[in-house]
Amino acid sequence: MLHFMKSIHTFQKIAAVSLIAFGLTACEDVIDLNTTDSPPLLVVDGWINDQEEPQTIRLSLSAPYFTNNATQPVLNAEVTVTDDLGNVYRFEDKEENGHYTWNDSIMGKTGRKYFLEIKTEDEVYKAESEIKRVPTVDSIVYTKEKLPFKPDNGRQEGYIAEFYARDFQGTGDTYWIKPIIKGKPTVAKPTNITLAWDASYNAGGEVDGLIFILPLRQAITTDSLFLEGETAGVELHSITNETFEFLKQVREQSLNGGLFAIPMTNVRSNVVNQNPSGQKALGYFGASAISRMETTIIAENARPEDR
Amino acid sequence: MNYFIRKTLQLIECFIFVKGKSNKSVLTEIFNRSKHPFIYYLCRLVIFIPDVRGNSVKFASLINSISGTIPFRYSTIQLTMKINYLIAFAGLLLCQSVALITHAQEKKTVSGYIRDASNGEGLIGVSVYIRELENGVTTNPYGFYSITLPVGTYTFIYSYMGYERTEKVLELTKDLTQDIEMNDESQSLKEVVITTRKEDENVRSIEMSVNKVEMKTIRKMPALLGEVDLIRSIQLLPGVTTVGEGASGFNVRGGDVSQNLVLLDEAPVYNSSHLFGFFSVFNPDAVKDVKLIKGGIPAQYGGRISSILDVRMKEGNTKKREINGGIGSIFSRLTYEQPFDGGKGSFIVAGRRSYIDVLAKPFLNKDLRDSKFYFYDLTTKVNYRLGEKDTFYASGYFGKDVFGAQDFGFGWGNATATARWSHLFSKKLFMNLTGYYSNYDYSLGQKSDPAEEKDYFDWKSNIISYSLKPDFTYYLTPDNQLSFGGQYIYYHSKPGKVTAKSEGEETNISQDPRFADEMALYVGNDQKLTDKISLQYGIRYSWFRNLGAATVYEYEEINPGERKMPVYPGKEYKKGEVINTYGNWEPRFSVNFGLNSENSIKASYNRMAQYLHLLSNTAASSPLDVWTLSTPIIQPEIADQVALGWFRNFSSNTYEASAEVYYKKLKNQIDYVPGSELLLNQFVEGDLLFGKGRAYGLEVYFKKNKGKLTGWLSYTLSRTERQVEHISNSNWFPARFDKPHNFTSVGIYELNNRWSLSANFTITSGTPATFPTARYDYNGWALGDIYSNERNGSRIPAYHRLDLAATMKSKRKLFGSGQGEWVFSVYNVYNRRNPFSVFTRINEDNPLKTEAVRYAVIGSMIPSVTYNFKF
Repeated sequence: MLHFMKSIHTFQKIAAVSLIAFGLTACEDVIDLNTTDSPPLLVVDGWINDQEEPQTIRLSLSAPYFTNNATQPVLNAEVTVTDDLGNVYRFEDKEENGHYTWNDSIMGKTGRKYFLEIKTEDEVYKAESEIKRVPTVDSIVYTKEKLPFKPDNGRQEGYIAEFYARDFQGTGDTYWIKPIIKGKPTVAKPTNITLAWDASYNAGGEVDGLIFILPLRQAITTDSLFLEGETAGVELHSITNETFEFLKQVREQSLNGGLFAIPMTNVRSNVVNQNPSGQKALGYFGASAISRMETTIIAENARPEDR
Repeated sequence: MNYFIRKTLQLIECFIFVKGKSNKSVLTEIFNRSKHPFIYYLCRLVIFIPDVRGNSVKFASLINSISGTIPFRYSTIQLTMKINYLIAFAGLLLCQSVALITHAQEKKTVSGYIRDASNGEGLIGVSVYIRELENGVTTNPYGFYSITLPVGTYTFIYSYMGYERTEKVLELTKDLTQDIEMNDESQSLKEVVITTRKEDENVRSIEMSVNKVEMKTIRKMPALLGEVDLIRSIQLLPGVTTVGEGASGFNVRGGDVSQNLVLLDEAPVYNSSHLFGFFSVFNPDAVKDVKLIKGGIPAQYGGRISSILDVRMKEGNTKKREINGGIGSIFSRLTYEQPFDGGKGSFIVAGRRSYIDVLAKPFLNKDLRDSKFYFYDLTTKVNYRLGEKDTFYASGYFGKDVFGAQDFGFGWGNATATARWSHLFSKKLFMNLTGYYSNYDYSLGQKSDPAEEKDYFDWKSNIISYSLKPDFTYYLTPDNQLSFGGQYIYYHSKPGKVTAKSEGEETNISQDPRFADEMALYVGNDQKLTDKISLQYGIRYSWFRNLGAATVYEYEEINPGERKMPVYPGKEYKKGEVINTYGNWEPRFSVNFGLNSENSIKASYNRMAQYLHLLSNTAASSPLDVWTLSTPIIQPEIADQVALGWFRNFSSNTYEASAEVYYKKLKNQIDYVPGSELLLNQFVEGDLLFGKGRAYGLEVYFKKNKGKLTGWLSYTLSRTERQVEHISNSNWFPARFDKPHNFTSVGIYELNNRWSLSANFTITSGTPATFPTARYDYNGWALGDIYSNERNGSRIPAYHRLDLAATMKSKRKLFGSGQGEWVFSVYNVYNRRNPFSVFTRINEDNPLKTEAVRYAVIGSMIPSVTYNFKF
């Protein structure tokens, strides 16, 4: 069984296939486009968690849209994170590449708030986030699957993996579900972002405290099915409702093509310049608790197809 | 108007009980004595008197002056019920008109139906012109006309585009019934030259901002893949645009696709597209008449704020059996018409189905063999004439698009059913009572194994409406044609119902169903004030109620311009309980100043209200978009439009030209927060933003009606903007269908008896687009930022396209008497890759690389051949 987002993709696929069948050939080609330039802005790419690993906040500058070089790092900034107990964590850019890190101990704790402060040469920027609770992942199961047609960059036959976890009692828990592919949490492109509100997609379903609903459970199988011997897994990140909105907007920004394009809008950053007449900042400062599970696909352990 | 009545008039309701006198003579007596207008309605006499509340002496003398010696009981009416104002207004008009009749000389009425001689179809909008009066009327949508004249002898001239004109001299000494059958011009002798006085319908008619396209013309125009298409033809008219090729629906004077009321035999069609928007759902073989009303909308129409597309189905040949059909690149069509009961009744059944799936099947590989991709529609209508006074109609439409592969399926479709009864109460009072059912639904789902449904995912959405709609036309005098009536609609909407089941564990992420009803009452009058000035005025009152059962939430703002969150707990309402009501007065007014027989100036104003909204944040409207009822949060959309136009006919009506300017203001226009979720979102109201809109423009239209070459040129210069708080810095921004320049030309050339040629050329401004000015790297993705935060600040390249077609009638008769024709057409002749959109994206292989992409829906020239037959 394909999962829910796949259904929408399949709908688009069917739309494309049937348009071709009816002799209507849509086409896309890459063109040159002149867009106006804008001044470089501070970009914050920072996310802290409750894991035993280096915590990184990356600072860079925005560039004209069609520059395809690496963007410029922001060096010599003062980056600190303070929690609501008054602990101060100073992030250092040891390699002078704009990656400000803190690596002394486990930093994040569930239930705590974190305040980011960045001092650049001229401005002070602030942001805050909170680490919310995350449920443990119960299990990962997989089933043999054959798709009706071969995906563009995926396999037609293989295993579709799904994870089991139960949302907490109480509405308003929000999560980012990241698939683990080849041992790494992987969200290759914004369209692959999968978010959950309680055990479902949006607020309002009668799904509080349930096991994540089926389409979400299979969201860890993205562009390609798994083969035997590969590992499948999930990282479940707790996020704040505000982060949920941010990620949703990021995903929407990548849906601006085709017949059913959504007009492009800016993604709202939570990083605020303390000088109200100064330039805005881009990017986001987030915080998560993470629970994780991985498994290796073994044919004998697959769930039988004809359940 | 409301204020005017409240201020100056008071109503008295009287019950008359008089011994020995008939009600009629009492009424006459009161009428003769009273200076005040009155209406007699349901055994009640309602008198309009000046407001003298607070002055009892004055009031008593007033009552005395009315009642005289007639004893009657009276009471003043509470003016709280708004509906009463409407009745009062209707009454006022009626009184004035009654006064006109009573004081005039003895008059008689001529009435009847005008039909096509070849198949008995009633003809809509036929001009009935009385030479002696230099005045006339037109037939209504059922082909009925009625005119009341002083006793005398008159020359009646019946004329209709594409038909031979008919003259009748009638001696009017008593009421007459005069049915007319008109012959198709093309069947007549070629050399009939008409030299009598022209009718100048374009100049004389009160209608402005109205485009009628004859089905005959639509059939001859070049069509995409040779499929004659109503909506695509409409898009070639002034003031009409589309967001792009393949987009569903059409945009009229700055309105979005959901603001057009598309009526098929009076029933609304919620989605007028097959195949995601490429073809419209109307079978050209079953359509009789198409009319697009863009402004000066009469009071009888309501419910959408931009335009009315009134599509009337054929009634079926009442003379003989007729079979039409054809095979095109997409559809194969078949239509069957037959009279019964000696021509008193007839029916038509018309079906179309795409057949590429059948042809493709043998060539598909095994995995795709189960694929489904087809669409079809079935249109049927029966009518029966019971005597001279009653006609019954029943019509239905059923269409579906089905797409799927293996265990996955997706489909959408409309179904409408209409029953109508036309009744002549007298020669002057015509009634049409319509009841309809309309349903639009879609479903998306899969079943691993239908036999044992352990696993399934099923998503359904629909909107159902039931309506009853009485409409009356009262032919008061030749100068006054009163129309009044009302409508009741009950809505039942299931915006999204999802059931998913896995290993017996069922989850439900459905949205709650919604219930509402909408009522409207209207009255209008077409009045010829003088020989030169005619008016059409009216008022409509619409009333909308949200009904239970429902849970209603309030929403609180977290960040301005972003998603609002519901406040728990919501308020619970029981089944049938009224949650919320909206009421709107919708005044309508049009005037025609005839400068001379060839020139006229027309002006109009209309206000429209809309209680049903299509939530769609995508460029082209998708079949998955959900029709949503107004709620306490989603307020009704309101539009006010003024238009001014100059109309001129040249060379005995061979050419007609018009230039119109319009200005439209829109209220409560819906927009969406960033990251909005419009499907399966119980709290979708939190994702909506509300703003206003404005649209203005100039439409120039030049049409050649007669001769070997016919067709039109149309140019529109316009602007459509929206303003929504927190979008585009809260400034005005161009709407996504804003196309400042829009030029179209259509030419049809009758080469000889066998061949006709046609061409379309369109050039329009590109649609607006938003491009990022900067990129930034976040989490390994390149994201875009618009520094100015403006929406639609750029524009994609202009759109232009040429299409050609040739129609050849076969020489050979088909089965002895039949006729066949071949239609050859080429769409996009010079093979232009017109962009639907230009957008930026992250490169597929490298998420840190950005690129701009031109997306063309149709990237090449498309030739096609169609064969049509008729016998």
